Amino acid sequence: MTRPIIPTDGARAYPPRMSDFTKLFWDAVNKGVFRTTHCDDCDRSSFPPKPICPHCWSDRVSWTELSGRGRLYSATTVHAGPAVFAADLPYRVGIVDLDEGLRMATRVLDDTPLDQPVELVVLAYEDGPLYAARGIAGKAVKPTSEGS
Amino acid sequence: MYAGNVSILGGAALPVGKLQGLSEAGTQNLEHEVLASLIVEALADAGLEKEDVGSMIFTLPRPYTQQKYFATFMANYMRLPCDGLVMEVMGNGMTPALTFQVAVDQVRLGRTRVALALGINFETGTAAPEHMMSSMRATGDVDFHAPFGFTPISWYAMDAVRYIHEHNSSREDLAMVAVKNRRHAMDNPVAQFRKPMTLDDVLAQRPIVEPLGLFEVPGRGDGAVCLVVAQEDVAKGTGRPYVNIRGEGFYHEGAHQISEVPNDMIAFLAAQRAGAKAFADAGIGAADIDLAEVYAPCTIVEVLVAEALGLCPVGQGARQAASGETALGGRIPICTSGGLLSRGHPAYVTALYSYYELLEQLRGRGGARQVRNAELGLACTELGNYNAAMVHVLEAVA
Repeated sequence: MTRPIIPTDGARAYPPRMSDFTKLFWDAVNKGVFRTTHCDDCDRSSFPPKPICPHCWSDRVSWTELSGRGRLYSATTVHAGPAVFAADLPYRVGIVDLDEGLRMATRVLDDTPLDQPVELVVLAYEDGPLYAARGIAGKAVKPTSEGS
Repeated sequence: MYAGNVSILGGAALPVGKLQGLSEAGTQNLEHEVLASLIVEALADAGLEKEDVGSMIFTLPRPYTQQKYFATFMANYMRLPCDGLVMEVMGNGMTPALTFQVAVDQVRLGRTRVALALGINFETGTAAPEHMMSSMRATGDVDFHAPFGFTPISWYAMDAVRYIHEHNSSREDLAMVAVKNRRHAMDNPVAQFRKPMTLDDVLAQRPIVEPLGLFEVPGRGDGAVCLVVAQEDVAKGTGRPYVNIRGEGFYHEGAHQISEVPNDMIAFLAAQRAGAKAFADAGIGAADIDLAEVYAPCTIVEVLVAEALGLCPVGQGARQAASGETALGGRIPICTSGGLLSRGHPAYVTALYSYYELLEQLRGRGGARQVRNAELGLACTELGNYNAAMVHVLEAVA
């Protein structure tokens, strides 16, 4: 399932590095597709994608497409951040449990409460892609206070 | 191999504070001078001589310390030949605990009879946003976490949000941990923050990582500690009170900040497992502990680790801080030093301050913050979001 791609001004503040292997992940993200590695031997998935299965250490892994949907496990709004993120402050980050049974961490674009459904979207910066989570309703509002 | 007990028989600690930077005269505190005076003080406290020391295990200084290869520089500065081991240890927030463990293990292996576990953490000359450019690379995946802006304490904040969600708790409940620990720190001469502080004071601070504000997260500080570790017969020979290491436990859950397989993040599995191992090693249970110094950079972390270690029932840790059960005079005093929030958190030496506090308490030298009849103390340290934990049970020997 292709995810929404949101054109985003400027360059990524702290761009991820890519190996020949993880480039395959980021190239797919760039086209709105989220995928990760699945082990042909133990039948378990992994995130981030890895050329060796962390569960059984087999190198027989294949790419599998992710739905890009899940639920927000936790989140916080950061008011004091590393120097390169100064222009983003405050910003919300969170932990998402994907429907496929994988946990990941990413930016959260709205004030979706815990345990509510979220979807991944692509942030298409001028220098390359990142991704983020937002409520299924997709309301892009500034986050309110956390834990209240 | 040495089959007997390993003891801590002396120590010295610098009051935590902001010690980096130039004076009006253009001078500054230099790490080796500060640490040298602590070494002399710690050995005098132990009742030992320079010639007794066979090993020096150092915490790795921060990258902001100009003098590189600090351990061998100090061996020269102190003119101390060693036939055991001289080295520096690194392991994020667990650095000082690993340093202590290496010193203990060297004594246990029989490579030396007396070892120093010591270190200095100077960092306040570098502003927080710059410092976080480095620390975010330690507490997260550089390619799959750091690009989104996670900071070290943002993970603890997400623990807090989850805890409040699951246990119907509140920021106010959690903040009582900071109030309690400030009361403890007021009587601790090496604590960084010693002014009285109310719950309203805590709640009034600007947000840092919601729901946590400035006084619910660690301030930055410089610090240094030297501990003297030895075979028990050396300790006995001094005729002074000392402390034995009665139990040890370590566990790494095989995850970095978060588990890719969804789990109960706030159960702090590593602290559960390391604590259980240390209790079994010591032949005791959590209820036997008289006081605990836990590595808790934020209010929520003290609550979660107290619950994981079995010092408080799950879901009750915050309320028990508020009701005084984990305060001095309560059922199980936690962080009598003031903890990371008030004693201070010079990260690469923080756990050494924990052992130092237990050493003082178990020798009856806690002053106004003394835990009465303290016989068994627990220290717990961690790295990441408690992805790994190391627990020591220390016992007073009169």
